[in-house]
Order: sequence, then C-alpha cells, then structure tokens
Amino acid sequence: MASEITEQYLKIIYNLTEEEGAAKTTEIAQRLGVAPASVTQMIHKLSKQGYVRHEPYHGTRLSPKGKRVAKRIARRHRLLERFLSDIVGVGVEAGHDQACKMEHALSEEAEEVLCKMMNHPQRCPHGRPIPKCERDITCQECAAETLRLSDLDEGETATVSHLVAKNKEELCRVLAMGFIPGTRVVVEKRLPMDGPIIVNLKGTRIAIARSIGGTLCMTRAA
Amino acid sequence: MEIALAGNPNVGKSVIFGKLTGVGIISANYPGTTVEYAEGTAKLGEMIVNVIDLPGTYSLSGNTDDERVATDLLRSRKPDAVVAVVDASRLERSLVLLFELIESGHKVVAALNMHDIALKNGLAIDFEALEQTLMIPVIPTVAIRGEGIDALLDAAVKLRPRSRFSVRYDSHTEDVISRLAGMLREEDWQLPLRAVAIRILMADKGILERVDGDIKDTAESLAEEFERQHGESVIVHIQRDRFGEAGRIANDAVRQMETAEIRRSRISDITIRPLTGVPILALVLATIFLVLVFGGGLIEGALVGSYEGLAKGFFDDLKAGTDSQMAQGALEGVYISIEAMLAIVIPYILVFYIMLSILEDTGYLVRVVSLLDGVMHRIGLHGRAIISMVVGYGCNVPAILATRTIGSRRERLILAILITLAVPCSAQTAIIIGTVGNYAGPEWALLIFAILISLLVVFGFVLHRIMRFEPTHLFLEIPELRWPSVGQTLGKTGVRIGEFLTIAFPLLLAGSIVLEILMVEGVLDKLVEPSEPFMVGVLGLPAVTVVALVFGVLRKEMALQMLMVLFGTSNLALALTNEQMFVFALVMAIFMPCLAALAVITREFGLKNMAVITASSIFLALVFGAVANLILAI
Repeated sequence: MASEITEQYLKIIYNLTEEEGAAKTTEIAQRLGVAPASVTQMIHKLSKQGYVRHEPYHGTRLSPKGKRVAKRIARRHRLLERFLSDIVGVGVEAGHDQACKMEHALSEEAEEVLCKMMNHPQRCPHGRPIPKCERDITCQECAAETLRLSDLDEGETATVSHLVAKNKEELCRVLAMGFIPGTRVVVEKRLPMDGPIIVNLKGTRIAIARSIGGTLCMTRAA
Repeated sequence: MEIALAGNPNVGKSVIFGKLTGVGIISANYPGTTVEYAEGTAKLGEMIVNVIDLPGTYSLSGNTDDERVATDLLRSRKPDAVVAVVDASRLERSLVLLFELIESGHKVVAALNMHDIALKNGLAIDFEALEQTLMIPVIPTVAIRGEGIDALLDAAVKLRPRSRFSVRYDSHTEDVISRLAGMLREEDWQLPLRAVAIRILMADKGILERVDGDIKDTAESLAEEFERQHGESVIVHIQRDRFGEAGRIANDAVRQMETAEIRRSRISDITIRPLTGVPILALVLATIFLVLVFGGGLIEGALVGSYEGLAKGFFDDLKAGTDSQMAQGALEGVYISIEAMLAIVIPYILVFYIMLSILEDTGYLVRVVSLLDGVMHRIGLHGRAIISMVVGYGCNVPAILATRTIGSRRERLILAILITLAVPCSAQTAIIIGTVGNYAGPEWALLIFAILISLLVVFGFVLHRIMRFEPTHLFLEIPELRWPSVGQTLGKTGVRIGEFLTIAFPLLLAGSIVLEILMVEGVLDKLVEPSEPFMVGVLGLPAVTVVALVFGVLRKEMALQMLMVLFGTSNLALALTNEQMFVFALVMAIFMPCLAALAVITREFGLKNMAVITASSIFLALVFGAVANLILAI
C-alpha cells in the first residue's frame, strides 16, 4: 500500500502527464509547494520502488504500476469533488482542498457507492475526466446493474441512489413523497399479480406501483 | 377573514376542519377535476372566519390534480392566513410542505397535530425551538379530541408579519434561482419572485402558463446546464435541500424520551398481507353487501310502508279532485318519485355513504386498494374499483357515486359503464331470482350471473384497450389504522347526501312525471303492437312484456310486479315458458339503468356519456336476449 505522500506525488504526476508526455521536476515542485530538491529526492525514491521512470532533461513518467495507483487516487479525488460540490454544496475551490485530504481515506467500497450514488459522473467540477474504476465492466453495464426499487425482494433494505423519471411531473411526485437520493427504504411487501410494492420510508408506509418503482435506482444496503 | 388549511394527506386535516367549522360545510368538486375541497365558517367571538380545507398534498409544485387545486385556491382566494397541519409523529415529512407555504409568502401557523401519538411514541417536541426556527406560531393539537383547536383559531386570526425563515439551497441552485428571479417583475406576480423562480424550475404548469417565452428558455437552459454539470436535475437538489433542512429541524426539536416500544398495530399488517388480507377483504365486502341489501331493505320497507300509509290517501284525494288524466299522471309521478327517493336514497345511499366514510377514515380503503391494484389493472381499473362493484350489487346509484374515489375520469367512466351494464343491482337480482330462479331452477339463475360476470371481465378488457390512456399508477401513503370519528363520518355523509338530493331528485321527478303521463295516456300500451314483431320474433317474448321493460326504467323492482299485473296472475309459469323467463331476466339485467342511476350518471359524467351508456345498454340487452332466444330455441 502506497503512503499518502506517495499517492500525492503520483496524482500530481498523473495530472501533469494527462496533458503532456512527462512531468518536469519544477512543475511538480510548484504544484506541491515544495523545493525542487525535495522533489528530486522523492522521484528518486519512487523510481526505485517502480512507480515512475525518470529521464533526465525530459521529466518523469508514471510506470504502469504507478499509473494504477495514480488513477485510483485521481478518481477518488474527482468523485469527492463532485460529491462536495453537488451534494454538500461547498464551492469548487474549497471542495478541491478538502478532496485532497479525503481522497487518501476513502475506502474502495465507499468509492463504488459514491460513484453509483451520483449516477456515474464522467467529469469533475473542473471538467477533467474521472478515470473509470478497475472493475471489468463499462459504466453502462454498471448502471444497468443498478437495482430498481421494483427489483428488490421483500425485507430488503436499500438506499435511493438516483431517479430516472420519464418527465418532471413524475420526478416531482416521487421526490415530494420523500424518495430523495440517500434515503433508506425497506421493502415490506410485494403484492401479487404485479400489484404495488409496499415500502417503509422512515416510518411512513407507501404503496407504490411497480412502474413508478422502476424510476427509483437503488443501492442495496451493505 | 379567511383562512386555509393545508397539509399532507393523512395528517388529520379534515378532522381539524370539522372541529373548526361544525355545521354549514360546503364540499365541492373543483371544476374540471375529481378533487374535492370543502369550505365552512368558524366563529371566534363575534368574528366569522371562512375556512377552506385544501386537498391534501405533499407539495405546492402543481404537478398533480390535488396540488393544482390547492395552489389555485391559494392564489385565487388569497387567504389571510394558512394553517399548515403537521403530523407531530412524523415531523420531517410534514415540514417540507410548510417550507413551501412560507416560501410562497403565506402567513403560516403550524398545527402540530396528533400530538398524543407523538407522546405515546415517546417523542418530546420542543415547540419553542420550532417557533424560533420557523418564526411562526406552533400550536399542538389533538384534533380527534378537539384539543388545541381554539388556540389554533386564535393564533390564525392574529395578524403578524410574514416569517423570514427560508430554506437555503446549495450555491449553484441559489444562483439559478436568483438569476431567474432577477428576470421576473414584481408586479406580475402575487407570489415572492423567489417562489415563482423555484416553481418555474419545478415545472409548475400553472406558473409556466403565465411566464414569458424568453424566461422559459432561460430556465430551460439553466436547468440543462445544471443537469450537465451535476448529472442530476435541479429539482432533485431543491427537494433534497428541503428534506435535509426538514430533517435537521426535526432532529433539533424532537427528543426521543425513552426507548418507547413503538407499537404498530398488528391488524394493520394482516390487512395488507395477501394471505390474510384477501379473506378479511371478502369478509368486509360481504358485510357491506349484507348491510346494504338486508339493512337497506328493512329501512326501505319501513319507510315505503309508512309513506304509503301517510301519503297515498292524500295523493288519491288529489287525484280524485281532478278529471284531467294528465294531472293524475303528474300526481302519480310526484308520488312515485318521492317514494323512489325514500326507497333508494335513504336506505341504500345513506347507509352506503356511512360505510364508505368509515372505510375511508379508518384508513382501510387504502389497504384494499393496494391489495387489489394488480388484479384490477388487468381490466384497466384502479384497485378502488372493487368497492363500487360490490356496492353495485346492492344498488347502482351509490356505486356510481362511489366511483368518485377514483383518480382519473377515464377510469371512473369505464367503471360506471361496467356497473350499469354488468353489475345487477338488488332489484335486478330479485327479477332474476323471482323468474328464472323460481321457475326454471337455480342453475339457470346462476348461468345468468355467470354471463354477467364474463361480460364484466370482457368489457373491462375491451374498454381498457379502446379508451387509450395511461392508467393511473398507484402511489399513495398507507396510514396506520385508526378509529373513525362520528362527527366526521356524519358530516361527510350529510354533505354527500345533500349533493345527491339537489342534483338527482329534480331529474327523477321530471322523468317520473313524464313516464306516468305516458302510462295514463296509454302511450305505453300503444308500444305493444308495433314492438310485437321484435319482441315475439327476435326475443321470443309475449308482446306485453315490453311494458314491463319500459316501466323497469322507473323502478326496477316494480317490473316484476308489473309483469304479474300484465299477465293477471302471480304464477308466472302460466304465462311464460322457462326459456322466455330466462330471456326476460337476462334482458332486464343488462337493460338500461333506472332513472335514479341515469340521473347520477348525468350528474357525474354529463348528458352525452349518459346517452351513450343508455343506448349501448339497450342495444347490448337486446342482442344478448336475441342470442339467448336463438340458442334456447335449438
């Protein structure tokens, strides 16, 4: 497991090499706000560990191993920025600073749920692409894997991740009932003959036709 | 002084309304909708306060019929204060609507209703904290016992500045709102511009209609930009922030006292589980049916008996006083229509309405609806249709009125057609039993019922296909079961009966007078000869039975007696063969509904639909009769 400082370096190099081929030591130093000498020292260490390859006068490139770590961190960083800006509602710059700290603490599971919860965002608030996760399926397949309320069995608990309503009217109706993303729902009963599903939403029971249940994308509670 | 009551469904709003207003309630269908709302007056000392009971809604964004009616009423009536009825035991949910009321610039007073249930559940609510946060008066009430109602009225009529509370949305949403609000002009709207901007974003049709094209375009592009950036509609963000704020406020104000065992009534569960729910439902329906048929029958007998005793002599004297046959016919018409009202309205409709109110107020109806929704959807109906159908086997008139509990007009119409065509009322059942059942044997009577039930299913299926509309999908809250309140039940029943009397009675009266005059003038007898080829040739019935058919329109149950009068014997076997009885009973069962039913169909669906239903039922009855005759002749 890479240390926090390693992750930080790899992410910076990743950000820089996304646009051009190799990262210059001075650029890395500038982004991190440290002296170029310390960067050189750290690059040397990273190179020995096999994360990067340094070519004098060209700059530093990520090795496949380094790229994997960097991508994961960049993904977490950008997902967190999305989360902080969309859901928490803090400004983009403040979001960036906090995401820099939180990215190292986010677990793989939380990352996956976050991605699903925000409906597979493709770009961060600054417009940079969010790297795909390491799971061997496309985002469309992953989205299709998302459960609908109408797919849940009796007794299951799940959280509303997002809504795919046909129109604004339907969206407003479902939201006004309290099916807000992030809300926990327990399926109490599925009535026979394609009848409605009875769910418990924070102590309120709601009968919901399966067609409407299909507009609610859910994440099963862990 | 005018105040309005607003709140989510099932928070006890109507009970508060009942306690506030007492008598003199007017309830009306909002024009063009099936949504009912009520109005009444409350007295506070010398002051008369007009109270409007808005339909229960979850939001004011005008996206359902109920919401549209509520927002229209708030806009057109401009009440001096709005009482937001809040469920104390589920504060978070109820607060969201209250936010919207404040946001729309209303002077809001909160009624923290069902306070007793909150206490029983071990919830201590800090009113002062709520008052301080929301900057409005918060009055705890227990509406069923009338607690807190006076204090509520007192608080509502006091003039005070608007609350300055507002929900803060996230920065991007706020940005979109203020940019839209900046384009609006204060003088065009009676709402705060912030509220208008929010409702534009929420696609409120009532607001969008009145917004300039360029503002609409801006709103559209801002919303698209928002969705592109966040991958989510701005509507989701608005509602999430409202619920978030509501959750925070509820958390701060509510303290769980001890880990009180929250008892959820077990009855509540078994009514929903199919295994137990279906037998319970069957039991409830059977009870309704039996009460209607036997209870209603008893009351009918008593009422009609005493009416005949009291009024027959009077009308006979009047008739003797005139020589004109016309006048005698008219008098007979008046006499019979009053009798019909006594025979139908009081025993069947009143009894049914009381039972319907109880079913509604206990919260049982919602469970039935959920339980049967799947099955009923197969024939294009809502789960609620089952109530109307069962009632229809007693009397079609309340059954048609009961369709009102169903959301869309289309489903109501399908259901009304099915009931008039294929659900025999108790009078029609009496004819079937009294002719075929008696003389040809019960298996033949059962065959008629089987034909009718298959007609119901086939027709439901066909109508569902023909009248192409999206059926309403069930989406409703299931409240805990509770005891109904006598006052509310009687109040609701009184309002409905009053409505029925004013609309249906004049039609019934006019129809009866016309029919009686035709009888007296011998016009009906003149029908016998010209209809002979058809009656004898196609239906295989004696020509005189046409009189019984036409007379059945006035009073179905009298058609049987009429038949006996026409044949001059009470032993129908002497006059009709078993086959003829079968055809007659089948035709009678499908044949056009009685005048009282026609009157309510006209009232609920308009003349045109009434004419279509009548024509198709006559046509269908004759076709079925002809086919039965052909088959039986083989």
